[in-house]
Amino acid sequence: MATGTAKSMTKSEDLRDPAYLKIRDVIYQISGIYQPEEKLYLLASRCARRMSAVNAKSPAEYLEYLTDRGNREAELRLLFNEITIGETYMFRSPPQLEALRSVILPQILRAKSAMGFKRLHIWSAGCSTGEEPYTLAMFLLEESEKLLTGWTFDILATDLNDRSLAAAKAGIYGEYALRSTTELLRRKYFRPYDDKQLQATDQLKSLVRFDRVNLSDDSKMTFLKGMDLIFCCNVLIYFDLGSKRKVMQHFFSNLLPGGYLFLGHAESLYQVDDRFHLVHFPGTIGYWKPPVGYSGGGKP
Amino acid sequence: MKPHRLEEIGSQVKALEAMPAVPAIILPLTAMLQLPPDQVDVERVVELVSYDGTIAAHCLRMANSPLFGRRNTETVRSAVLALGLKRIEAILLGCCLNRIVPPDKWAFDPVMFWRHSLGCALVSRKMATLIGYPDPEKAYLASLLHDLGMLVNTLAYTEDYRKCIQAARDEHQALDQSEEVHLGFTHCQSGKMLAEHWHFSGDVIDVIEFHHHVVSPVGAPLVALVHLSDLLCRLRDLGYGYYEAMGVDLAGDAAWATLVEHHPALANMDLARLTMDIDGSMEEIVAVVDAVFKP
Repeated sequence: MATGTAKSMTKSEDLRDPAYLKIRDVIYQISGIYQPEEKLYLLASRCARRMSAVNAKSPAEYLEYLTDRGNREAELRLLFNEITIGETYMFRSPPQLEALRSVILPQILRAKSAMGFKRLHIWSAGCSTGEEPYTLAMFLLEESEKLLTGWTFDILATDLNDRSLAAAKAGIYGEYALRSTTELLRRKYFRPYDDKQLQATDQLKSLVRFDRVNLSDDSKMTFLKGMDLIFCCNVLIYFDLGSKRKVMQHFFSNLLPGGYLFLGHAESLYQVDDRFHLVHFPGTIGYWKPPVGYSGGGKP
Repeated sequence: MKPHRLEEIGSQVKALEAMPAVPAIILPLTAMLQLPPDQVDVERVVELVSYDGTIAAHCLRMANSPLFGRRNTETVRSAVLALGLKRIEAILLGCCLNRIVPPDKWAFDPVMFWRHSLGCALVSRKMATLIGYPDPEKAYLASLLHDLGMLVNTLAYTEDYRKCIQAARDEHQALDQSEEVHLGFTHCQSGKMLAEHWHFSGDVIDVIEFHHHVVSPVGAPLVALVHLSDLLCRLRDLGYGYYEAMGVDLAGDAAWATLVEHHPALANMDLARLTMDIDGSMEEIVAVVDAVFKP
């Protein structure tokens, strides 16, 4: 979103209200989504919409809605929706794709080749309307003549919401979802749907398998094994701590040793799970399941 | 390019002192840095800052930055008091060092260099505070100076260094590795020589020499702290101005283990949150450095 707009929506003197820092901390504690102090104006603009909806007169009064009132859980959910709104579009994290290309995939391909494997398994958990799995599909297709020569891959995309899954399967997107997709990729992997929207080609759709999966459903989660990469963006924010920990246990066993989990760019697993190793790449972070016998050394 | 010998670098470093561009205040300044805080003469620092209009303006700009938690500072004296003596000295040193290099001798973008140095200094200070390291301002200063050797390299070996940096950029490689290959020595070694020549304190010299390879038994926590801050900055777009293809498990790094040994609080530090805080500060770091160092 345009930060200038958000900045102008919230007067700078309002940002000095310490209630915003408390709201930030409540959100972090419950959802794992963090806003640095310098970006509080973004949080304030999201809160402003909810504050006017519930008719809260001040950030301090709104904080009460999030902490003390009977309907706090519902209000937190609505606020989380506001915070993550607009985060779903294709190619929304170039540093993540660059890390895949330059560091992660070469590492995984090396390890799998050594064992005689030539297939990658990728899971977009909580795929919403499909922007993430289609981005991954385009990225991998573009690499198929370079990094991935001789390799095949499959992408599993799951969500709990049937309407989101139906939209994802249809693969019809407007300018917002495609705003970071280059003209070249649009021409290659989409066809005109109407005068404002494009639709994913059958080739692109055929690379993604959509399924309805509830991440809290142990029976289904147990069977999703052998993943190299899991992407789970802004989904865990809606889970309580116990459920988050359970999902993380599943993700850990769903991944192959040496595999990576990626969360939303403002999400953290702090105090949720300590088996994953937090790995920094230029401009992005991932959570790594180290291979058996890894004893540190700084470089996965 | 022919690898250079260490003795040759030593004579280059000595030659730097004769350069007219070396500011006169650098020697009294480095001498002052060695003193315990209660012996530092505040009025002398204000005098040094006021001596140079550009430096005074830079101090005011920094004192008024939210990065340092201050606003509405209008005089050099209040800037000095607001920022704190150690930090003023560090700023002065940064400004002075920048002037050592004539415009045609920069093998890399000076703005990028100071963004990295200031970013690193701020991250070190923040980490130091979070883990209970006893002297956060020392961490700030040591970080600000950790890449001193890059200034030596660009001054003494401008053309070779340009090629070396271009090679690192093309290969997405760490700078010290490229220096090893193309120069035959690293900025850690040349930086150590200049730091010794200028009589920097032993722990700062250790940081300059070992920040890429944490093996120093002396001042180990400080070296480890700066090593981790340097890595973090390079991984958050405050690096050497090019893409370094790397994935780093910071908590699995030898420096992390060293630091945890001395400061157990590090083991519980929320690294993801610190990373997002660095991202949050980026805009201001860029603004401050641009205001101070952009021509």
